[in-house]
Amino acid sequence: MEFSGLSGEAILNTLGLIIPLLIALVVVVLAFQFGFYQLLAKAFKTKHALPYTLLAPAAVALLIFMIYPLVFNVLLAFSDLKRNTFPCYSPVLRRPADLDCSVLYSPEYAANNFLSVFFRIRNGEISRDSEGNVQLGRLLRTPDSTFPVLLGRTAVWTAVNVIFHFVLGMALALIMNQKIRFKGLYRALIVVPWAIPGVIVALTWRQEFHAQYGFVNALISAFGGQPISWLDDPTAAFIAVIFVNIWLGVPFYMVMILGGLQSINPEYYEAAQMDGASAVQRFRGITIPLLRPILIPAVTLDVIWTFNKADLIFIMTGGGPQESTNILVTALYNAAFGPAATSEFGFAAAFSIIIFIILFFFAVIWITTSGGLKEVYDR
Amino acid sequence: MSTLAKTSAPSTGLDPKQLRQYGAIALVVLGVVLMLFDNLNLGWTVVGAWLGLLVWQPYHAILIFYSLISIYPVLRVISISLRPTSGLLSRSLDIIPPGAVLTSFSQIFNEEDFVLWLWNTFAITVTVSIVGVIVAATGAYAFSRWRFPGRRPALIFLLTTQMIPAGMLLVPLFVIVAQLGLTNNIAGLILAYVSTAVPFSIWILKGYYDTIPPDLEEAAMVDGCNRLEAFWRVILPLSTPALSIVFLFNFLAAWSEFLVAKVILQDPNVWTWALGLNDLIGTFNTDWGKYAAGSVMVTIPVLLLFMWQSKYLISGLTLGGVKS
Repeated sequence: MEFSGLSGEAILNTLGLIIPLLIALVVVVLAFQFGFYQLLAKAFKTKHALPYTLLAPAAVALLIFMIYPLVFNVLLAFSDLKRNTFPCYSPVLRRPADLDCSVLYSPEYAANNFLSVFFRIRNGEISRDSEGNVQLGRLLRTPDSTFPVLLGRTAVWTAVNVIFHFVLGMALALIMNQKIRFKGLYRALIVVPWAIPGVIVALTWRQEFHAQYGFVNALISAFGGQPISWLDDPTAAFIAVIFVNIWLGVPFYMVMILGGLQSINPEYYEAAQMDGASAVQRFRGITIPLLRPILIPAVTLDVIWTFNKADLIFIMTGGGPQESTNILVTALYNAAFGPAATSEFGFAAAFSIIIFIILFFFAVIWITTSGGLKEVYDR
Repeated sequence: MSTLAKTSAPSTGLDPKQLRQYGAIALVVLGVVLMLFDNLNLGWTVVGAWLGLLVWQPYHAILIFYSLISIYPVLRVISISLRPTSGLLSRSLDIIPPGAVLTSFSQIFNEEDFVLWLWNTFAITVTVSIVGVIVAATGAYAFSRWRFPGRRPALIFLLTTQMIPAGMLLVPLFVIVAQLGLTNNIAGLILAYVSTAVPFSIWILKGYYDTIPPDLEEAAMVDGCNRLEAFWRVILPLSTPALSIVFLFNFLAAWSEFLVAKVILQDPNVWTWALGLNDLIGTFNTDWGKYAAGSVMVTIPVLLLFMWQSKYLISGLTLGGVKS
């Protein structure tokens, strides 16, 4: 018995994995929580035994699947893990006799991995050209795919996306906050991009930007314009992916801002109007300050999400043409797992740590200057 | 109450409302005239009509335009899925193609392992959503109601996890999985998804619990409940909007996750639909019909779920954000 690939055996296999997993999770978690609570309450006599116990499952899950991989990632940056040295690092895989596994982790490997992100490394040293200038390392297949280029492109990508998300989302939310008809219908239609699975968004838009069969070009030629080969031209391809990501992100802002607008007391506006404040003054003096607690976390999350948005670009263009749509995170994915990947996981680990550090510093500066996350933890 | 400028033209003797109506009619007529001069190109009429609406009812014109942009790709996929095989690569912009058939739908069931992909995804997604909500619901409650040592660093850590690039977790996760010889095992994928979903879920749920006055639990505890019973009987039922948002988010994230699944699930027998559909229009394959039919079937249920929940969507995300 089989229907479209699904057989009774396949169902049993999956359930055989999931049900024991769930039972084990429940039993282990409850037993662990009970023991942990007894330990905290009886042995340590802390008055916070209950909150710690309630948090324990989340903490353990994050410890195993987030913190451990992150620590392991740092360790990887100190390794020389490649496709051919892989068996050295595995407890199960069989090691070929001629494989030298004497040094697994060393600072030299780390120096090599981290420096390779920025510079061209030859024989363990930064290579220089005939005039003595350092040569930048190429992270992907084209010569200009160097770290500064990718960083600059990521900055443009993030800034353009977030600005358009914000402006369009705010405009739509302000309009939707008026007394107009069909509000529910508009809202339901506008949130559609958010609801469509990301893979389908990327694959469908890739097809819509197809030079011959896509509707973008069909629309352009319907008005007598010249068709553009969107995904074959470096600049056009970058515009295309930015357009799709803007399209994707507007509903999130609209929903957040609309929710905020609806909870602002209308009396503020009435009072301001009576004092003769103009619409712009009311917007700057009432709307923006009262929306701050929503706007700052929304922008913070959006910057982080956009900076890290790998799947859309990876599916739409794969980073091409000529690696021109790669941002840092897709370059990382391509370097580790892409079609031309060299499987140098030590290098990929170092690269990912550098990306994280950049984002982290940016976020820390932004959060401390805007002070907007006080709301989240100071209550 | 209006926050935008009320368009109040200076009194020139003419009623501005009437002026706008005349302008609108003029633009519609202009569009029709242009169409007559440009080989009956319907586009001009559409543009003229929209510009007319923009002058007459600007809010509706903008909202209609944006709504169309939002749903057009969905309509397109539906349209392609209904095309007969001969017209798959047609350039027409019709929503209902000429000679609409359901061939693509029967093809994806008969020629591809579509149901198997759906089953794999469904099993992963439901497990992730349920486990994620349970883990986050209790964790967020602790953050909301107690001021314990380590609370602030823990909350900041949760925010920090949102900054981790996918690749940064993917590289070590892949290496760990490969080292242990566990590629193609969905249990590993489930656990990885749960832990990436937990931080954001805790964040949202904590914000929501904060808006529920602690007096409610205290009242329940005076009536003889213990703390956990109060949480179970008072807080959880009141938090339905936020819980459903978190469930929905985790469901959607896992339902359409691509990058992690692509690296870990290499055997077609454990593929999720995202990997399957991607393969249909990959480098060597361009089965637009089958792809579109599959997309429609994958998207419509999610879309309905999302729209049905969109009432909760706003309150769940923003309640407690604005104090006024």
